[in-house]
Amino acid sequence: MAYDTLLVERRGPVGWLIFDRPDAANAMDATMFRELEAAWRELDRDPAVRAIVNSGNGRAFQTGVDVVQLGRDKDALREQSRRTRDAELRLTAWHNQVWKPVIAAVNGVCAGGGLHFVADADIVVAASDATFVDPHVSLGQASAYETIGLVRKSPMEPIVRMALVGAHERVDAERARQLGILSQVVDPPELLRDEAQALGEKIARNSPAAMRSTKQALWGALELGLADACRAGGQALVSMWGHPDQAEGPLAFAEKRDPTWRPLEPTQDMETRR
Amino acid sequence: MTFSQFECLKVERHGPVGWLINNRPERLNAMSARMRDEFALAWTELDRDPDVRVIVHTGDGRAFQTGVDVAEIASDGVGMERYRRSVEDFDLHFTAWHQQVWKPVITAVNGVCAGGGFHWIADADIVIAASDAEFFDPHVSIGQVVALEAIGLIRKMPVEAVMRMAFVGRHERLSAARAYELGMISQVVDPPERLRDEAQALAEKVARNSPAAMRATKRALWGALELGLTDACRAGAGELVSMWGHPDQEEGPRAFAEKREPEWRELTES
Repeated sequence: MAYDTLLVERRGPVGWLIFDRPDAANAMDATMFRELEAAWRELDRDPAVRAIVNSGNGRAFQTGVDVVQLGRDKDALREQSRRTRDAELRLTAWHNQVWKPVIAAVNGVCAGGGLHFVADADIVVAASDATFVDPHVSLGQASAYETIGLVRKSPMEPIVRMALVGAHERVDAERARQLGILSQVVDPPELLRDEAQALGEKIARNSPAAMRSTKQALWGALELGLADACRAGGQALVSMWGHPDQAEGPLAFAEKRDPTWRPLEPTQDMETRR
Repeated sequence: MTFSQFECLKVERHGPVGWLINNRPERLNAMSARMRDEFALAWTELDRDPDVRVIVHTGDGRAFQTGVDVAEIASDGVGMERYRRSVEDFDLHFTAWHQQVWKPVITAVNGVCAGGGFHWIADADIVIAASDAEFFDPHVSIGQVVALEAIGLIRKMPVEAVMRMAFVGRHERLSAARAYELGMISQVVDPPERLRDEAQALAEKVARNSPAAMRATKRALWGALELGLTDACRAGAGELVSMWGHPDQEEGPRAFAEKREPEWRELTES
């Protein structure tokens, strides 16, 4: 499928979803809202795609809603407002229930709504010149979804600071790594895509079915208290028992060869979320 | 607005920034029964003052806060029993969070923060510290349980570091530098003498943002500690929508386009 605001590509086992409105700092317009939903679905359904990398073209990674453009498209504005109000956003992999591993590769500034894609990714890497800022309150807007996700996943104080200081301060990539918001800073920045591809290929060597259950268990843990999360996680563990990959993994290890994994069965609608 | 007279605290306003200063330096700012009562009033007065956009909390002397005044507990014949009801009912009133202050609160740790002092780390929005500040939790070393402060902290930062402080007690201290690495605090001020200047500067940045949007954001983020992720996002959507139609939501983008400082509405009660 062809997209106007995104590039969707395959490189080996790695699917790439690239924001492609570099002249607008990759801000999300009405078209991108629609296309994101379609692109995540396309990559999630393609059995050849084992891991997904999300990055941006140009100087910015993602800068949130394109308020000017959306203001001109009343229908799109109304629909996006409704989805925001009803917590039915379809922007990120998490929103779209993608259970394949997702790597955000932050190539530049990530501002405001761009933080959705950091909060909702499984793994985050960044170019050494990437920066993070949440200007919502400096523009008279509340910050909620993105920062709620982040306070559940990383130390809270620096996230609240980012939300309340707004446009008047930025967090750099190295500090974000220290805090565990991301796990790898790529220097020089030009190597970001190569490093993200290499990481995607490592992940692609693991059992797709085991990774799906693992991802469901870990994101599910953010929904529940500890003991309940462990109970639900127990279900995720047991779901792999009897799966061919569970026998193939140890066998390949013993035979010192790469395992041959089963392609992922299409997901039934998971009741884990929503 | 003028503030009440306090004995154990100083309450001041510098521009848009309200200051709450622990003022029992000879007792390392330990919380006496009187100080505990004064906190409740001071937070409420700062929260109600429309000229205060942001609150900074710090201490006079070489300590920030060292928790309950153990000397008072040991000598007054009443001891901790005085507090039984309020703790059993979780009906406390000495931090901004207890008092439902929805203005941004910055804790500026000026020296030792021990034991119950962690209440004001756990319950602040933003925490900065002087480079010579130190953190430790002596509860178990003096036969006391630590619960509330540590519970707050393990929801906000890596758990292991909090458990270590809880169990090593008074026999080890955490440095400001390590607290920064862990994301317990976001800024270390060196030299330490510059702490108040840096806190004021940070607070003035925060004061440039929309008070109403910050209140909604603060509710959404603290609310996120109460719920699972999906439910927290749903509740957060309510906070987002609460700003729709608010004049600040129009004023922000307009001021940005016109390259001028926005003029925000004063907070109304809610």
